[in-house]
Amino acid sequence: MTAGQEVAKRPRSAQRTSLWGWLLALPTAWMVVFFVSSMVIIVLLSFGRTTNDGYPAFATSTANYRAIWNEVYLELLLRSLAYAVATVIISALIAYPVAYAIALHGGRYKNVLIAAIVVPFFASYLVRMYAWKALLSDDGLVNSGLRRSGLSDGITFLNTSGAVIAGLVYGFVVFMILPVYASLERLDKSLIEAGKDLYHSPVRTFFSVTLPATRAGLYGGVLLVFLPALGDFVSAQLLGGANTYMMGNLVQQQFTEGQNWPLGSALTVGLMAALTILMVAYLRGTSTRGREI
Amino acid sequence: MNLRPDLEVPRPSRRSLLTGALALGASFALPGCAYIRDDAPTDAPLPPSAKAEIDGDLVYFNWADYLAPSVVKGFQKEYGVEVIESNYDSMEGMYAKLAAGNQYDIVFPIAKWVVKLRQEGKLRSIDPAELENADQVFYSGSYFNDPWYDPGSKVSVPFTVYKTGIGWRTDKVSSMTNSWKDLWNDEARGRIFTLDDQDEALGMAALLLGYDVNTAATSELDEIKDLLLSQKEYLRAYSSDDINNMTSGDAWIHHMWSGDFLYLREALADDPTSFDFQAPDEGVPINSDTYAIPENARHPGTAMLFIDYLLRPENAIENMNYLFYPFPVKDALPAFADLAKSVPACNVEVSDLENENVFRLLATDEVQRRAAVWTEVKAG
Repeated sequence: MTAGQEVAKRPRSAQRTSLWGWLLALPTAWMVVFFVSSMVIIVLLSFGRTTNDGYPAFATSTANYRAIWNEVYLELLLRSLAYAVATVIISALIAYPVAYAIALHGGRYKNVLIAAIVVPFFASYLVRMYAWKALLSDDGLVNSGLRRSGLSDGITFLNTSGAVIAGLVYGFVVFMILPVYASLERLDKSLIEAGKDLYHSPVRTFFSVTLPATRAGLYGGVLLVFLPALGDFVSAQLLGGANTYMMGNLVQQQFTEGQNWPLGSALTVGLMAALTILMVAYLRGTSTRGREI
Repeated sequence: MNLRPDLEVPRPSRRSLLTGALALGASFALPGCAYIRDDAPTDAPLPPSAKAEIDGDLVYFNWADYLAPSVVKGFQKEYGVEVIESNYDSMEGMYAKLAAGNQYDIVFPIAKWVVKLRQEGKLRSIDPAELENADQVFYSGSYFNDPWYDPGSKVSVPFTVYKTGIGWRTDKVSSMTNSWKDLWNDEARGRIFTLDDQDEALGMAALLLGYDVNTAATSELDEIKDLLLSQKEYLRAYSSDDINNMTSGDAWIHHMWSGDFLYLREALADDPTSFDFQAPDEGVPINSDTYAIPENARHPGTAMLFIDYLLRPENAIENMNYLFYPFPVKDALPAFADLAKSVPACNVEVSDLENENVFRLLATDEVQRRAAVWTEVKAG
């Protein structure tokens, strides 16, 4: 379908347009006041300084941006990127089969199953991380079980990179499951039947028909998991070890013990800039590939 | 107040929640533009003391679970007022709420925050003559008549005192030497925790090197950084959740607060003898929590009565038995010595208070230099 056809079909009632205008005004105002203005403050503050009394103050200094070009911070950025990429890959490997099973074999329990996945995410992320600590500690339930069953003398789960990534996956996997589920749900099942007739193999059908047809959902999930995982600090704080500090922890520290809001703001703006570049590149890549089909 | 049904459920260290919750809390605590200003007053005249008389319900602002619920209930019953509780998870969060103009009747600042709040005129004077039990803390010759953080004891009343030392598992580690060097112990390699706290971590390394715990000298900070980096291969993590890390078996040696240790050993441990605590010979940081009344409190009279009530020795003892932090209330001190007799290192003596290892309010450039070192240690 071309853009021209789409426009031609849209109803052009002026009344409806103004109603929509009004309905949009409130959320727009909300966004301007609470989202845009806080962004503006962050950007302005990133050129600021801290007064002798420890207050952040606006200024016109580029010192904070010079300060973020630091070897240690770059290392943190790379580590955070690696954690976020690992989180995305593991989330996709978990989310796809789960969403597939529910969408294609859930039958009348579909909504119940989706609710069962979503509801636990209403509980605070923080509380769930503490629960993980209780489960996975050296004398925790899992390790006591392993020891009692004689399988192992105990495994050090906590305070490792693996624990941080696992925490991130647990925290954000639902954002992968939902869009993938939605795209599988919309998928015309007869396509899969046709694919099976054509390719004679469920695996080839999956890679040639199902996966490409649900690519949009998967791409959406990738973004929804990648972005919060990259900025997260809770998982590294609670499940991490001495060598798992992430960008989020760094930013958080500047706003608290570090008493350096301007540097924290510059780091935030720098991270956002890096993410924007990554995202634009990603969206260009995905839309080009999308057109090739 | 939250009721704790029994002592079996470990509560996280009051500071531990800072680490995670702060994070979530911080974004709400930031008061926005009100905080961004260049004209913070210094050494403002002190607002006058209130009379100790009921003038409304008590709006109470403290760390979570940092007073015995039974004591708070007793106050409500005796004076017929409600205690309306809010909590903070960090001093920064507490300060930000006050700076944003929120009104509380009583807060519990740590020593160096008393300095800051007093300088900025954010605290009301507290006249000891208004308090029946003032002689429990302000007796002749008491350290608290003129503490370093509140000259002349004008705006604060001491609440708890504590020190930072090392807790360890006696069933796992046998080579402790009563030195901060023990945080580099080979036997416990990979199971050692250092507090995730800029002042405590840098202070520990400073003591080991023989420097002031507040040092901001670049050359000394460089040495501190190298020392702390050398510790990383021994560490499991930086964490302030000292109680849980010890009870869960993750930590064999933990840089920790004396009150947290005593609570862990006396109230939580299956076998108390498998836990011990030391106050290293190089010296230990000592800290004080205080009662204070914000200048904009709506019910300062009730707050005065509340402070007076908490200074009653029987209430101090009840609080100590719940918190395991010592209250420097004269007639309650023997009870605390008794509580800590199995681990005398957890006790805090007046001589400890007079040492120089207190975390002072530093200038911004000093804080930032220290923060940069701490960041490089954690990130490195």
